[in-house]
Amino acid sequence: MRESTLQLVNYVMIAVLLLTVLLHLGTHGFFGFVDYEASLVYGDVVGRYRQAISSVLLASLLISAAFHGLYGLRNILLEFRSGPVWDRAVSYGVLVAGFALVGWGMRTILLTAMGG
Amino acid sequence: MADATVSVEPARKRRKSPVADQVRWAFWRPMNLEKLALFVQRISGLALLVYLFFHVIVTGFVASGRGAWQGIMAALTNPLAHLGEFLVFVGVIFHGVNGVRILLLELSPLVGTPSRPDYPYKAQSLGRGQRSILYLSAVMTALAAISAFFLLLG
Repeated sequence: MRESTLQLVNYVMIAVLLLTVLLHLGTHGFFGFVDYEASLVYGDVVGRYRQAISSVLLASLLISAAFHGLYGLRNILLEFRSGPVWDRAVSYGVLVAGFALVGWGMRTILLTAMGG
Repeated sequence: MADATVSVEPARKRRKSPVADQVRWAFWRPMNLEKLALFVQRISGLALLVYLFFHVIVTGFVASGRGAWQGIMAALTNPLAHLGEFLVFVGVIFHGVNGVRILLLELSPLVGTPSRPDYPYKAQSLGRGQRSILYLSAVMTALAAISAFFLLLG
């Protein structure tokens, strides 16, 4: 994929991330709307995973955070050194890390949403 | 007449450490808030990425049932974990607000109109518009720190 396309996708991911991270922090009491301790009780957590809107929010947050974070890491690592071998190693490395992160997170979302 | 000798530096100096280079760059003169903010942006971004992996692994316990979830929550209910969450919340707020400033700079609304470069050559991109968002990110980070302190550590 072209670097300009990746950057464009990054901008979209940032917009999604800004919205979803604020909602996520809000549901865990960081803005005072709900109780922090109560938001971590098992029943409440599972309940959120079983709501369709909440699950979509969590999946969007996971994908956007993983993309933005690993794309940022890739940029930092590519500034450190240059060369085709390094470029390829970093790009494939973050891709594998991204698949592992999103894969594990989606597994949690799906298993919990469908009843564990 | 002897030939003039000049010291010839190697064309390609070996860099000691890329991380040390980054740190040196951030604190090298001329110092400005924007350089420091970019440095903190990178550090907070890397820290949040490490936390993201940890967070996804921890939340994975919810799929293993009530016992596993309560076990991991009991293990993470301690002052050190709360301090970590405090730093994550503060980092998220700074990274987010300062990130919006960088985004607006990249997409140009805050760069300003071009002008003739006159001494002392002030960078057009370091104008008041973006500086005000930088101050806003500092204020919001401080407010987030106060709020998270009472929520997690109070």
